[in-house]
Amino acid sequence: MKEFKIKDLEVAYGDQTIIKQLNLEIPIGKITTIIGPNGCGKSTFLKTIGRIMKAKHGAVYLDAKDIHELSSKEFARQLAILPQSPIAPEGLTAQELVSYGRYAHQKGFGKESAKDQEIVKWALEVTNLSELSHRSVDNMSGGQRQRVWIAMALAQETEMILLDEPTTYLDVAYQLEVLELLEDLNRIYGCTIVMVLHDINLASRYADYLIALKQGKVIVEGTPREVITKEMLKEVYQIESDIVLEEQSKKPICVSYRLMNKKKLLEKELKVVG
Amino acid sequence: MNTPIKKKSHFSLLLLWLFLLIVLFFISINAGYTDIPMKDILRILGGGGSTNENLVVFEFRLPRIIISILVGIGFSLSGCVLQGITRNPLADPGLMGINAGAGIVVVIFMTLSGTISLLGVMALPIFSFLGALLTSALLYIISTKKGYGLAPTRLILNGVAIQAGINSMMTIIVLQLDDTQYDFLAIWQAGSIYNSNWKLVLALFPWIVFGMIYLFFKSRELDLLMVGDELASGLGVAVTKEKKGLLFVAVALSAASVTVSGSLHFVGLLGPHLARRIVGARHQILLPFCAITGAILVLAADTIGRTIVAPSVIPAGIIAAILGAPYFIYLMIGNSRTKKEVRK
Repeated sequence: MKEFKIKDLEVAYGDQTIIKQLNLEIPIGKITTIIGPNGCGKSTFLKTIGRIMKAKHGAVYLDAKDIHELSSKEFARQLAILPQSPIAPEGLTAQELVSYGRYAHQKGFGKESAKDQEIVKWALEVTNLSELSHRSVDNMSGGQRQRVWIAMALAQETEMILLDEPTTYLDVAYQLEVLELLEDLNRIYGCTIVMVLHDINLASRYADYLIALKQGKVIVEGTPREVITKEMLKEVYQIESDIVLEEQSKKPICVSYRLMNKKKLLEKELKVVG
Repeated sequence: MNTPIKKKSHFSLLLLWLFLLIVLFFISINAGYTDIPMKDILRILGGGGSTNENLVVFEFRLPRIIISILVGIGFSLSGCVLQGITRNPLADPGLMGINAGAGIVVVIFMTLSGTISLLGVMALPIFSFLGALLTSALLYIISTKKGYGLAPTRLILNGVAIQAGINSMMTIIVLQLDDTQYDFLAIWQAGSIYNSNWKLVLALFPWIVFGMIYLFFKSRELDLLMVGDELASGLGVAVTKEKKGLLFVAVALSAASVTVSGSLHFVGLLGPHLARRIVGARHQILLPFCAITGAILVLAADTIGRTIVAPSVIPAGIIAAILGAPYFIYLMIGNSRTKKEVRK
């Protein structure tokens, strides 16, 4: 994969336009994180570039080719996507579920080759799941389960992985564990990662490139230092904040936040009540 | 859900199930208005029977048994696929109105023409399939949410509504009929192997076999669809295309079965449930297991139904419901118990 470009993208659910006139290029070999308020179109954007949803106008180009010109399997060999909190079918073991990642590489009846088994084994090792490989996924903790999904995406052997809020429902330690794992995948295996995160500080800490969305439009994009600013937080989230540089990573973090329009919001509520 | 039995034993379990079906096959030949002793069955099947024995075995019992088996396979596989692609354990061709759509065509066809030629019999599954296809196309269109694709919950709810609608239409038609035709419909609605002969076997056979072959080649896709549409799409499954194909085949299997058995669709719910509890969710083993389970259920229900009050016949659908209802009650009790344990 050499380039991944999004041109004049417009996406809609029925009459409701979610994304308008969006132009972007995803940096290859980097970790890109998308941030923005609820309902800004982050998930829709990820689904559209992951070929789950179709665009109304414009297109997504993988190496100058419209992704909808590729077959489902061809596309899945180049890009893996994990939706937000997927549900594991009952009774499947981690190994069985991870082996589903091999589908796009298999022909016909889907018999597992020696190579398939080797890669499934590798994916389980990288995600530290080897010892749990025969445990049923529905009996696992949230953090373990999220690692299984990531292992499944790894088994797909793609150069790019998209993740929609991979840290949802996890406690702080598990959140860090998942993000560290993704960082390793990027640094060691050169995997391009694009994810949606809610936590601004985690996004800043683990991303090389940040994209801030609001109402389906890119407000600002760039390195964390370029994106995490008082102005951005004001415009995108309507909050007042103080930004400092974290000592170890030299990345910006947001230390205190206040709602800007609290007074206005209160007045509105009072009106409704009155 | 209980932990499914380990993979290695799956194959032997499948053989055991098959053996059970074969035993049932012989019992079913043996039992009836005139008993045929076990030791004579092989001789008769081998071609050494008297005219009378041949008549009973080859003209009455054997076609009925084969049809029971085919119908069981058809409903059970159809239910299994529908439950898989809607990811709803309650989905089955009866609940979703597909059988009703096939049924109304069959009922009209049967009531309009008294006796049917071979050509007519061969055409019957085609008509019923068209009826079912029309119903499912309607269901598909009204259950598709713009921009989201097929919504599973809508599919079920709309299916129930369509089924209720068609059933009342059937009642309206029946009110215009005379008594014998009314009797036929009552039996049809209860679900019974009401008509069995070699012509019907011939008419049903290609549908079931084609459906089986198609599904066994799609077992991997069925597995992957169980993780949800979005993830399955990400893994490389052409979700919409595969779902359409699978829905089409599920409809065909069910519609063909309906032509000879009426609404015996309870098997479409019970068969896959039993099979899933025993062998788990992987379709490569689940599908053959489902097929045999369905065959056993219908054959057992029909054999009991036609012997217990012989010479009268209790429709197999009623027997299946009598046998199946306690199982579901047991499931519910079991479920609430395990939930309580988890809470502790």
